[in-house]
Amino acid sequence: MPTISIPTALRQYAGGQPAITVQANKIGEALTQLTAQFPDLQKHLFDANGKLRSFVNIYVNDEDIRHLQKEETAIKESDEISIVPSIAGGAPSATAEEARTQSDTLPELNKDELARYNRHLILPEVGMEGQRKLKAASILLIGAGGLGSPLGLYLAAAGVGRLGLVDFDVVDHSNLQRQILHGTKDVGRKKLDSAKDRLADINPHTQIDTYELALRSENALGIVKDYDIIIDGTDNFQTRYLANDASVLLGKPNVYGSIFRFEGQASVFYPKAGGPCYRCLYPEPPPPGLVPSCAEGGVLGILPGIIGVVQATEAIKLIIGEGEPLVGRLLLFDALKMKFRELKLRRNPECPLCGDNPTIKQLIDYDQFCGVAPQPAATEVSDWEITPSQLKQRLDNGERVTIIDVREPHEWQIANLENHGSRLIPLGQFANRVGELDPEEDIVVHCKMGGRSAKAYDVLKKAGFTRIKNLKGGILAWADQVDRTMAKY
Amino acid sequence: MSVKLTTEQIEQIKRHGERTYPEECGGLLLGVIEGRARVIREVLPLENIREDSRHNRVELDPRDYLRAEREAAKRGLGVWGYYHSHPNHPAEPSGFDLEHAPFIEWSYLIVAVRDGRAEEVRAWRVREDRSQFDEEIMTVLSVITF
Repeated sequence: MPTISIPTALRQYAGGQPAITVQANKIGEALTQLTAQFPDLQKHLFDANGKLRSFVNIYVNDEDIRHLQKEETAIKESDEISIVPSIAGGAPSATAEEARTQSDTLPELNKDELARYNRHLILPEVGMEGQRKLKAASILLIGAGGLGSPLGLYLAAAGVGRLGLVDFDVVDHSNLQRQILHGTKDVGRKKLDSAKDRLADINPHTQIDTYELALRSENALGIVKDYDIIIDGTDNFQTRYLANDASVLLGKPNVYGSIFRFEGQASVFYPKAGGPCYRCLYPEPPPPGLVPSCAEGGVLGILPGIIGVVQATEAIKLIIGEGEPLVGRLLLFDALKMKFRELKLRRNPECPLCGDNPTIKQLIDYDQFCGVAPQPAATEVSDWEITPSQLKQRLDNGERVTIIDVREPHEWQIANLENHGSRLIPLGQFANRVGELDPEEDIVVHCKMGGRSAKAYDVLKKAGFTRIKNLKGGILAWADQVDRTMAKY
Repeated sequence: MSVKLTTEQIEQIKRHGERTYPEECGGLLLGVIEGRARVIREVLPLENIREDSRHNRVELDPRDYLRAEREAAKRGLGVWGYYHSHPNHPAEPSGFDLEHAPFIEWSYLIVAVRDGRAEEVRAWRVREDRSQFDEEIMTVLSVITF
């Protein structure tokens, strides 16, 4: 009968035996039998999804089953099946400055790479040494979305040795207008999977390390420390301050970019090189909800392309040590006017993070700092809110409910609740038009996702209205939970 | 758990790191469990099979691992750990090391090699939830031969 030999380290979970005999015709069956007999082995060999862990290889005699028929590989009586770990390790990549002084330890370029990077190699500013520095460099991209797309594509193409991607999102139809890392076929896939495929195709010489998580105070330093340069491509203030603080605490450059509607900004925050940090520019976040996100306010699809490419350019300049970096300068771009402007930024000596007497010496609670409650469980409904299904129920019961839509007219055109008697009063006009509403009626306010209508709710409350509710999750939640035929945007 | 080695074995690991500098080296640790200690009986230097980034990456051949297990079994030993070098970096595990550490039951030794000279060797183990490395107590025994 075939035997499975167990690595020394795992024998304690297999009754201490070095080998287990199984009765099976295929590898898959043999492994199922093994873990059925020794359930403790399960979590050491398989991940939570029941897939073999990445560092677990299965060999039949001296052949890796990946080169045979994988788990379908047939096995004979006399076969010896082995569980073999992948064993790898490595030092963190050198920082940009260290790389500059250690050109003898820079990695060599092989023949394929020499051909691939020809147009860089003939630029004196890049040349062989610059290209080898790019190969030795590592960049952490926070977010594989709008900014992360051009960043990932161009940095991989340029020959950056290692890219880290942090993201936990899934590709959605509404991403495709700007997130060119992902295609229509990728809708529903994890962004990390889709990005990894695309980047590996663009440049197989670039190592892509992925982190399926939200960057938080608990994990940020551990991840950031292994990279030379940090690039934040997210659009929430918690992550922006977190990325800034982690970079400053670890002395790494943070290449900043942000986008909204038709305008964008970029800079390089690098106090170690004498420049300011994000906190010197914005000591405190705006009150929650004041600055709408791209999901609320919209963004021209090409805008992250322009800003992301500016960020990628800055990252490459930092690595090769050429040109004038955007340290101490804030670049402002207006797509409608097609104008670039520049503001001088100075380090603030009073800055609590990078100033002369810093008071922030470790990461803080960024949800609290930005005044944002941690994401409540999706099922939690406060008493000032109503869920789409509760609203539907009340309408179906024939109750009289006045529905007020506080979005903009162009959003109304995409989808609305007109057939339930909804009226449009954009948030900007809301305070002046409260008089149109009757405090004796039950009123439900809604917007796209629930943020703007929460402000309308406050306006009504201050005006003395009591019979008001905010539609939880906005019209998007209505489309998901009540009317699946409704257009989403 | 702690790990026990001899000064000679530590030297062997250091020399391997110096030989392959500026590239990384790696190898396996064969030994036995005695009480709460992994007692290393043999250091087995192996080839780095990485083709790229050899200055900061090392990978061992799975076939070498298989041979090491078979060889160890013949002598009543087991494979209880692995070592590698960090050229021009401290002997502290990197994020890459954590991602690629196969077993929580192993000792992970790292030798720092700076400018071609091996400096300190430190021992680490992976926390059970794989969230991080913790430094492991390393006892170095001097073997005196008369």
